[in-house]
Amino acid sequence: MNAIVLPVVLPLLAAFLLPSLARIWSSAARVLGPVLMLVSLCVLWTTWGEHPTPFVVALGGFQPPMGIAFHVDSVAMLFAFLVAGGALLMWPAWTDDDTMPRLAALTLLLVAAATGLALSGDLFNVYVFYELLSVASFGLVSARRTGAAFAAGFRYLVISGFGSVLALLGIALIYLRTGTLNIAHLGQLAPESLADPFGLAAFALLLLGFGVKAELFPVNTWVPEVYAGSSARVAGLLAGVVSKLAVLVVVRMLVVVFPHDETRMLLLILGVVGVLSGELAAWSAKDMRRMLAFSSIGQLGMIFIAFSIPGEAGWVAGLALVLHHLVVKSGLFLIADRWGGALQSLTGAARVSPFTAGLFVLFALSLIGVPPLPGFWAKLQLVIGLVENGNGVYLGALLVFLAATVIEANYLFRLAVAMYAEGASSTVTAPSGGNRIGAAIFAAVLVAAVFLLNPLSEAIDDLAVVGNDATGYMDSLAGGAR
Amino acid sequence: MSVLDQLLVFAFMTGAVASFIGDRRFAGTLLAILYFGQFLLLVKLAPLGYGAQPVVSAWQPALFGEVLVWRMDALGWYFALITVVAGWLVTWYASGEWGQGYRERGGNLGLMHTAVAANVVAMLLLLSSGNLLSLFVGWELVSWAGFLLMVMNGRESGGVSGPAGLRYITYATLGAMALLAALAIAHHASGSFEYIDLIDAVDQMTGPTRVSLVIAFALAFTIKMGLLPFHLWQAPAYAYSPGPGGAFLGAISSRVGLWGLAMVFGSLIGIGRIAGIELIPGWFDLRDVFMWVAALTIVLPTFTALRQNDARLLLAWHGIGQGGYMLLGLAAGDALGTGGGLMHVLNHASYQAPLFLAVFAVMHRTGTSDLNRLGGLVARMPLTFLVMLIGIIGLAGLPPMNGFVSKYLVYISLLRQGEPLLFILAVIGTLGTVLSVFKLLHNTFLGQLRVEHMEVREAPWSMLIPMLLMASVVVVTGTAPGLVLDWVASAQAALGLPVLDHTLGGAAGLDMLWVSGVLVYGFAVGTLLFLSGNKSRRVHQFDNYAGGHFLTAENQYQYSDQFYAGLMHHIGGWYRASFTWAESVVIASVDAMSAAANGFFRRTQAVFLLLLATLGSVAWLLWGVGS
Repeated sequence: MNAIVLPVVLPLLAAFLLPSLARIWSSAARVLGPVLMLVSLCVLWTTWGEHPTPFVVALGGFQPPMGIAFHVDSVAMLFAFLVAGGALLMWPAWTDDDTMPRLAALTLLLVAAATGLALSGDLFNVYVFYELLSVASFGLVSARRTGAAFAAGFRYLVISGFGSVLALLGIALIYLRTGTLNIAHLGQLAPESLADPFGLAAFALLLLGFGVKAELFPVNTWVPEVYAGSSARVAGLLAGVVSKLAVLVVVRMLVVVFPHDETRMLLLILGVVGVLSGELAAWSAKDMRRMLAFSSIGQLGMIFIAFSIPGEAGWVAGLALVLHHLVVKSGLFLIADRWGGALQSLTGAARVSPFTAGLFVLFALSLIGVPPLPGFWAKLQLVIGLVENGNGVYLGALLVFLAATVIEANYLFRLAVAMYAEGASSTVTAPSGGNRIGAAIFAAVLVAAVFLLNPLSEAIDDLAVVGNDATGYMDSLAGGAR
Repeated sequence: MSVLDQLLVFAFMTGAVASFIGDRRFAGTLLAILYFGQFLLLVKLAPLGYGAQPVVSAWQPALFGEVLVWRMDALGWYFALITVVAGWLVTWYASGEWGQGYRERGGNLGLMHTAVAANVVAMLLLLSSGNLLSLFVGWELVSWAGFLLMVMNGRESGGVSGPAGLRYITYATLGAMALLAALAIAHHASGSFEYIDLIDAVDQMTGPTRVSLVIAFALAFTIKMGLLPFHLWQAPAYAYSPGPGGAFLGAISSRVGLWGLAMVFGSLIGIGRIAGIELIPGWFDLRDVFMWVAALTIVLPTFTALRQNDARLLLAWHGIGQGGYMLLGLAAGDALGTGGGLMHVLNHASYQAPLFLAVFAVMHRTGTSDLNRLGGLVARMPLTFLVMLIGIIGLAGLPPMNGFVSKYLVYISLLRQGEPLLFILAVIGTLGTVLSVFKLLHNTFLGQLRVEHMEVREAPWSMLIPMLLMASVVVVTGTAPGLVLDWVASAQAALGLPVLDHTLGGAAGLDMLWVSGVLVYGFAVGTLLFLSGNKSRRVHQFDNYAGGHFLTAENQYQYSDQFYAGLMHHIGGWYRASFTWAESVVIASVDAMSAAANGFFRRTQAVFLLLLATLGSVAWLLWGVGS
């Protein structure tokens, strides 16, 4: 057994104990979640230091491929780290009222499932964690108990449920063919047993099934309603953190099991349509939450485009975009907490809270990709990667990406200019202190990244090597589990 | 630390000072001194203007395996000199009464000083960029610094500066994305962002790659310059910036587009290779496209300027048109043309900035720049009138001012290259300029003084001295253009273009010392005749009559409304606003696509879509593998 299972097990355990604890000692229940996040971060940090190479954890002592295993490499660690860190900063259950235990328990459940997704080396486990994640997010989305939240939650439930069925079907197809669900084992078997239409159909089902949470076009129609209807922190968690975990699952399958031109092309095309539809829809969005939701669809599309580039270049671009979007979109959703209403009401909002408006401008600049902010470097990696490929479709994707950035600049700065319009009085109130601090932390991370670009770029290069190393992933089986 | 590093650090410091204490009373003066320090550092770099080797910055950060390099050569130095002098003088202009008045009107003076300083820093970073990556970084910084200056004038401009700035930043992002595409193509072809590697790789490129590289670069740089058909953003964006900021932007900011094109035409790709890309073999090549775009950019915006009734907009539209002369000369490709085009950058800056500042001085005193509500101010603001007179002669390109020299070089180049049609278009543009700047001068300073302006005083010295300094540059470099042509020749050499053979008096048979001498003699003779005549008597302007009627305040002797009614009767039908229409079509189509995208997300049958997508994807994969 290994300490690495703690970030999954502890929140899971706490999620079930927390409602009872809240009855006895509510203030302890309030801080329990954040404290656990800190513990998880510590555990991950120490494990990262101890185990430089990928390793496998056999849960319950059953050796893979028979047993269900965790596959831990630096990429999985990074995502687990992001989950804990993101949840800590975006913790949605600071409230005093009686919704706190439920919210906290659901968030803990979400964190446990998301961490499990990052670490899991087994497709069946992935599916279980994915379902757990879905259940937790349904609860969080409709936690506001407004009509809009319920409607959005129901829509989310239907699409997500259907997506789960698709994913399950894909998993079933794979199991039918290979008789195993261990991803590393699948990678070894794939060249002879899954490199045919049957296997690719299974990939398509997995892609669309897991794509629901990854805001993949066209299974993302739940996104605008849900992000507009749920609390800003929940929306930020879903857009910033959870979506990236689903991306990771899809990309792992792509790299280890289905490294074909057809699968990459499918990812690329869906990514391109996602960028187009997301950015275009954001252009005429009427409120900030929906604008951010659509923009997030566009950004996730860019991430899919990035990961569809073969080789390490794709991973470098993809990871850079993932990290950047996580920081920026989480911060923006925190800002949007009280500024989520109609865009017109934000005219002159800079007078209400100059600090928040300044943060918005900073995030917007990075989102557009203005140097020297990190967003530029991420987008530059994507652009270089796309051109290096030289292929016609990738060049088309490049053009779409460039055009989308122009639209992005237009709608983000239409809002920014309106915020700073003089002589207008805005009706909005300044975001709550907690949200402002949270957004400021994300902004600080963004600015710090400018000065730490060099070590960051080296770290991302290393991570990309690991992420792209399919044989390394498969070989981890041979090393035996701990 | 090389001198270039010192310059950049000093410029950053100026920006920092501006942002911390820019709203203090003494800040303008302090900043003007700091800009003068930057100017002195540039003087220290002056050997660059006379053929010295480029100066390299010691700071070369490496990120994601790419290096950012800063290196200033003769071309960059030439543009940087104009930038810093413009920044210095406009800040001086704002340091006294103007800045106080701006603050009293509710403007944020500290922010304006910061924005100007940021523009100067960004320009210096761009102009000294040593590879494509640092070029892009500088490019974006220039764009966004300009945006800051454009949108900060919300209340002063009556709320129009925001939309103008937004339009600008949308165009600018389009240009930036084109530049990013160019970077990507270059990186793909040469494996790095270094200029040298790109120059080597250009020969090995396939035809389509080379064409797309040229187009991507050209798109980026023409948008910034406001060349047709991407010119619509420029006039309102510059006109509604705070006065000194608008003067700075109008003088030099958009010229970085020309700087970029000069590099593309000169060292990076080469005008010869661009001329080798034939669109209609034997008839029309890519270079001709640039020349015709340039010629149309001269004519159309100039005649748009003719119709403006706001002095600021009139000047801003001329700024677009003047860019056409620069590109026309540059695309001509020979020593005369490129020399004229590059020289026109300095000339244009030297008269455009004081013209803007003169208009803002009039605005400062009268509160308006509406050409139908001014007139007769020569009696009250004679020095401002002098500045504007010198400026418009320069802008119109008439001797003895410097604008004549550069335009003359371009004309001669066109004639020698056998391009009579382009020459005629250029002359038509000059004709339009003459008409339009006369309107500017007349409606502001000539005719009858309006009653409400009877008490107007001359602009204060804090505003006059910078204007007069700039105007003196127009005269001095008009008389002795060789001073500038030395720098231009060094820039040409740095770019690998043919070098202009010149003397202190000019080039291509033109000797401005002689021309100016003749004009001075003529002027002297005229003065003698004037003095030897009967003594003139000053009368009040209403102590006069016209057409048998005495003039009163109600019955004015001032034609400003519909100034060129007769001309407009003939050419008015040509104004079709086609570009505005085309722009609105693009916006409408984005709107329609956006509505469609929104519609997709509003669909209620989400699961049906999901099912369709699943079936589609699976079918696509099966088909893909089957074929």
